[in-house]
Amino acid sequence: MENKTQTVKEKKFISLVIYLHNAAPWLKFFLDTVIRTCENHFEQFEIVCVDDACQDNTVELLKEYVEEKKLRVMVNVVHMSFFQGLESAMNAGRDIAIGDFVYEFDDIFVDYDENVIMDVYYKLLEGNDIVAASSRGKMRTTSRLFYALYNKTKRGNGKIGPETFRVMSRRAINRIKSMGQYIPYRKAVYMDCGLGNATIYYDSRDVDVRVKNKTVSSERTTLALDSFIYFTNVLERTSAIICGAFLMVTVFMGVYIISDFLNDNTKPVEGWLSTMGFLALGFFGVFALLTIILKYLSVMLNLIFKQQRYLVSDIEKVVKH
Amino acid sequence: MRERFDKIIIGAGLYGLYAAAFCADRGQRVLVLEYDDAPFQRATYINQARVHMGYHYPRSLTTAVKSAGYFRRFTEDFGFCIHDKFDQIYATSGRFSWTNAKQFQEFCRAAEIKCEEVAASKYFKEGMCDGAFLTEEYTYDAKILQKYYEDRLFGNSAVTMVFHARIDKILKREETWEVCLADGKSYETPYVLNATYASVNQIIGKVEDTVSDGFAGEMFRIKYELCEIILCKPSEKLKDIGITVMDGPFFSIMPFGKTGLHSLTAVTFTPHITSYDVRPSFSCQSGMEEMCSPENLGNCSTCPHKPESAWPYMSHLADKYMKPEYTYGYVESLYSMKPILKSSEVDDSRPTAIRVMSRKPAFVSVLSGKINTVYDLDGYLTEET
Repeated sequence: MENKTQTVKEKKFISLVIYLHNAAPWLKFFLDTVIRTCENHFEQFEIVCVDDACQDNTVELLKEYVEEKKLRVMVNVVHMSFFQGLESAMNAGRDIAIGDFVYEFDDIFVDYDENVIMDVYYKLLEGNDIVAASSRGKMRTTSRLFYALYNKTKRGNGKIGPETFRVMSRRAINRIKSMGQYIPYRKAVYMDCGLGNATIYYDSRDVDVRVKNKTVSSERTTLALDSFIYFTNVLERTSAIICGAFLMVTVFMGVYIISDFLNDNTKPVEGWLSTMGFLALGFFGVFALLTIILKYLSVMLNLIFKQQRYLVSDIEKVVKH
Repeated sequence: MRERFDKIIIGAGLYGLYAAAFCADRGQRVLVLEYDDAPFQRATYINQARVHMGYHYPRSLTTAVKSAGYFRRFTEDFGFCIHDKFDQIYATSGRFSWTNAKQFQEFCRAAEIKCEEVAASKYFKEGMCDGAFLTEEYTYDAKILQKYYEDRLFGNSAVTMVFHARIDKILKREETWEVCLADGKSYETPYVLNATYASVNQIIGKVEDTVSDGFAGEMFRIKYELCEIILCKPSEKLKDIGITVMDGPFFSIMPFGKTGLHSLTAVTFTPHITSYDVRPSFSCQSGMEEMCSPENLGNCSTCPHKPESAWPYMSHLADKYMKPEYTYGYVESLYSMKPILKSSEVDDSRPTAIRVMSRKPAFVSVLSGKINTVYDLDGYLTEET
């Protein structure tokens, strides 16, 4: 496959959406890798960089790079108004991309062979709408815990895992768009969109654990907790279990009370029967109500999903002189 | 003895020729100096050919109201070159737009311009646009307008046209200007109109004050963008429709005068290269010094160094929004230099800037990105100088 595509370039228009947040040290190597790969394999492509409030010189480096290399490819930068985190920023980037197929690079640390970039594309052509590249390397304990718990409690079928980058079809993007305006956690929404998903695993080079940016990781922790609420039924299930337990207690109490009533031998204290009966019933009612309220809240959550949730300050084309 | 004219007009675009005809009608002798070999070779021809009604400026009500006023007058005066038999659709994108559907409607109401809501699903893919509006806006045909002015001015004894003019310098004397060409010819006039659009600063830079009583020849604060307009052949369904997805990184595809072609432009892909210098300096000028330099801008559309077309980008952008039945095919790309006043970026207004840089002798510079505000010149041309 490799040899064939060296001579005949792919006709599809590709968009590369790249997340940038204080990532200056890795920028050049990353751009070298992906641009070389894309120039070799695709006739046309565009680059959309999402500047999530970079405080270092990432954006300046990017501009210098474009000027210096006299890139043919068009480079657009989406400037986020303030730091909004990976998910919001990449949603903005994906929305502005125009390609038939869109690559999402969640971070620009390259620990894969450049062939992996094409492998996911070929996998996509086999009939998958979203294909991710995932490192076989060790995961951090927190990540492992998150994915294990998440996959156990999530509502849909598909399981998610760590992903380095992914490519998706326009069809998948349209589908996702029609599912709701707000996408709090892309991986989860992509997995649940009902189109073909696939993952390619690669052996991570150089490092055991992928480098993570500090600001980004703290933001990811919050997102991990939120995702449990958005996409899994942990809360609903917990309340149902509690409610079930109390139901059991109530039933047990009911049986006990009735047997007590029928059996005249034991004489409880005056009023004991009615008090206990009322208490058991009352608690059952409270927990049943809580279950309903939780359900109600989750419906409201879905409504809020429909609002636009990212703020862009500017879309700038990186221009040559 | 130098030949003397009542007015010397630099630039044979619409502003220049309008002024020439205006003055000739009032019995003045006029000289028009043009760098290219024919009139209307640059921005007058190479633009979206929109007769602006003001829809483009939802963030600048004053610009919009002014456009709407001039729109009527222009369509009456130049009806012969105007194509108005198509549906002009303005749409606001659900995302990335600086203006949403509701704000656009409110703006149209405030500016008192037509705005009828139509179903966005008729033209756009699901979820792409949150509002679509049928508006009243026309397109003019620059070639027909060119013919009209050629017929009017070429045979007119009051008007002299010099094409392929290379202005060397403009000398300020006591009461007059002396405009010297590179071929040695020179002309004298009490009034110079600088209507050269992207070359406006280049012309100002050629002024030399020989009496030193002050020439307020301050350059315009502009940035330069080399812009590409793509002409394409619309399908039967698209033929009588113009579509503009507005106020953000979007696109426009609309009839290009009466040519039967559509122009395709996109906010992010139409500008190719940018210069922030006072005069337009670009890397593509190197090796082209004879034809184009920061002092004398050549014609980008005929330049061998013109950039590669952004057709793949623009067509993909349009296809992302429009329903697949609205198709079109590539015909050709036109390029022109567009000066953008730096003050107008925030509110996206395009004021027509006219500056009187000297009163006696008079030197007036005009910079306008809109064809129907040409009437702004009237007051400056009749003023006693």
